[in-house]
Amino acid sequence: MRHGMIRGALGTAFAALLAMLLPQHGVLAQTAPSCPVKIGGILPLTGSMGPIAKHIAESAQLGIDHINQGGGVKGCQVQFILRDDQGQPTVGVDAAKYLIEVEGVKSLTGTVSSGVSLPILTAVAAPSKMPMISCCSTAATFTTLAQEGKTGGYFFRTLPTVKTQAYASAKVAAERGYKRIGMIYINTDFGTGMVKDFSKAIEKLGGKVVSTVAYNENQPSYRAEVNAAMSGQPDALFLVAFPQDGATMTREWISLGGTQNLILNNALRTPDYVKLVGAKFLQSAFGMDNASVAGPTVDAFRQAFQTAFNTSPDGPGIYNQYDAVMVLGLAMNIAPDLSGPAIRDSIRRIQNPAGEVVGTGPDEFKHALALIKDGKPIRYVGATGPVSFDANGDVSGPALIWTVKGDALAIDRTMTLEDMAALFKQIDG
Amino acid sequence: MMGIVAYLVFFAIVVLIFGVATLGLNLQWGTTGLFNAGVVGFYGVGGYTQAILTAPGRPELLGNLGLPWLVGIAGAMAASAIAAAIVGVATVRLRGDYLAIATFGIAVALQLVALNWERLTGGSLGLTSIPRPLASVFEEPLSYDLFYLCLMLAIAGTVYVALERIVRSPWGRVLKAVREDETAAVALGKDARRFRLQAFVLGSTVIGLAGALYVSFIGFVSPFDFVPIITFQIWTMLIVGGSGNNKGALLGVLIVWGLWTASGTLISKLVPAAFQTQGGAVQAILIGLVLVVTLLFKPRGLIGEEPVVSRHLG
Repeated sequence: MRHGMIRGALGTAFAALLAMLLPQHGVLAQTAPSCPVKIGGILPLTGSMGPIAKHIAESAQLGIDHINQGGGVKGCQVQFILRDDQGQPTVGVDAAKYLIEVEGVKSLTGTVSSGVSLPILTAVAAPSKMPMISCCSTAATFTTLAQEGKTGGYFFRTLPTVKTQAYASAKVAAERGYKRIGMIYINTDFGTGMVKDFSKAIEKLGGKVVSTVAYNENQPSYRAEVNAAMSGQPDALFLVAFPQDGATMTREWISLGGTQNLILNNALRTPDYVKLVGAKFLQSAFGMDNASVAGPTVDAFRQAFQTAFNTSPDGPGIYNQYDAVMVLGLAMNIAPDLSGPAIRDSIRRIQNPAGEVVGTGPDEFKHALALIKDGKPIRYVGATGPVSFDANGDVSGPALIWTVKGDALAIDRTMTLEDMAALFKQIDG
Repeated sequence: MMGIVAYLVFFAIVVLIFGVATLGLNLQWGTTGLFNAGVVGFYGVGGYTQAILTAPGRPELLGNLGLPWLVGIAGAMAASAIAAAIVGVATVRLRGDYLAIATFGIAVALQLVALNWERLTGGSLGLTSIPRPLASVFEEPLSYDLFYLCLMLAIAGTVYVALERIVRSPWGRVLKAVREDETAAVALGKDARRFRLQAFVLGSTVIGLAGALYVSFIGFVSPFDFVPIITFQIWTMLIVGGSGNNKGALLGVLIVWGLWTASGTLISKLVPAAFQTQGGAVQAILIGLVLVVTLLFKPRGLIGEEPVVSRHLG
């Protein structure tokens, strides 16, 4: 008992002492940055996301190398400090706190799963005024929080939100004349977000979602889910799933007499899915995906990644992570000082419509630094195309519509950034 | 320098939160011998109750009642006590590995409920903007963390003192008797089932309290916060520290969580940039290695249970 009381008293005394030191802390934060400038990275290097995150981390490192070869940040080299969040919120939050307080990083990039990025943002990054760019967190919650002013504007992400896919598929569904649409979706933030945004869009375009059924992964059969979705007598089915489960569901759907008017999400755009279902059942199906913009800046990144790691960058999040790092590098150079608010505000200045285009790679970065030094505006066109954040820190991107022709996947058409902007305007008003 | 202090304060808060959970498990396993493999289930019930009771309302959600923080804490403890009582009544006949399997299953089921009962728990999106106690009073993150550290010291201290007294009381001695030899305890007229149930409920209430404290510190809750590995972590803390000893339980938390985080720091310092992406795997190996070595040399944990001998002997 005595032990506990002594500890409590010590803690209080300690707290009082530190409280007196606090004002000095604020003064210290104002002083000039010392070399090297640090950027913190948090990614799930181990755990179920490990195989994906390894390449994402390589992409981040490539971005840092390009920044350093191109002149670094404010004359300093950039040091990238990477921590593993193990896919666990507590570990991720601890890593973020360590990076900010002990390492003194000036900005953060990470992480993959929204369930980890969100607590990092709300518990550590936003209160510490630390800009944070994620490559891969899709949850709609980030947008909601930003609208409510809870993020302080410190959160950005370089992958288009679910909205892009949802709106694009709603548009094509409406064009095809589907009026009553059933949805089966994976029970993650990605799936629920898709339902929300798609329902909103299709209603604006004259259709209706008549049934929504969530499913949990890795089950041998989905008869119950399929039956429930069928109960609304839909004239089309929107399936938001991953290939293995998606194939099981599609087969059950069709064998129970469901319509072959299928709308498919981007994860199903693999030959595996087509083969498992049987191509002849998918002839009237269409799907959408985020289009990787073609162009010299994309090719330059692809080439650089291929050379550096001897593997193709065609995996989830790799292009997006590179852009996240490059955006930080550019913004930190534009910012008058390396304080959180200054970097945050500068992130919005990398995409000036009047600016000169700068692309990927060290030479382009060097060019950008020269422009910034002369006080000229820049327009960053990165590995995912022109990166332009909206008020909530989200980006939109071009979409592509794919179909199955014969036995193979085919691209039906692409919807450019301008098309998407018009569509967003039509639906969101 | 201030940065290191700020981090250590944050670290200490997390240690104390896990510490409370480990003290709860120690009552169940260390004192009573109940193999609760569903720690994270009760941790989650506490966490979600705190969120549902205190978070500001949203039209799409049933809960989010916006009640004061203290009501949330009390509710969280009550909810985990009720959950533990229901689980306990159903499983109290079970012992050892059977109880472990049952509780493990229940924890997984609870996590799936959190994932699927969208109207209440927010589903996979979780619940956000959960109020932190007195958050408006403190502007700087460090001064808030210092306040929360003091709060945690007070709560963890209270739980520690209370459990120390309980274990040394006649009631606590019966728990140990049940653990050591149930038949003998029953022969002495003790209703072993009832004592086991009481210990299970009390321990789970403390674990639920830890969950509520975690959620109100982080301000966000989602099913990701309650994955089965948390159960494993809390068990490791108890076993490494020394089960049956509350000091050991707290020391175990400090060591294991310290190792968990310090190994990450070490990797990011020692491994050259080109191999950083492999660092995560090395970290996992390092954690495992230290745990195995600790248990090889200290099989009863760093501070084992104190020998209990009647003062009338010797």
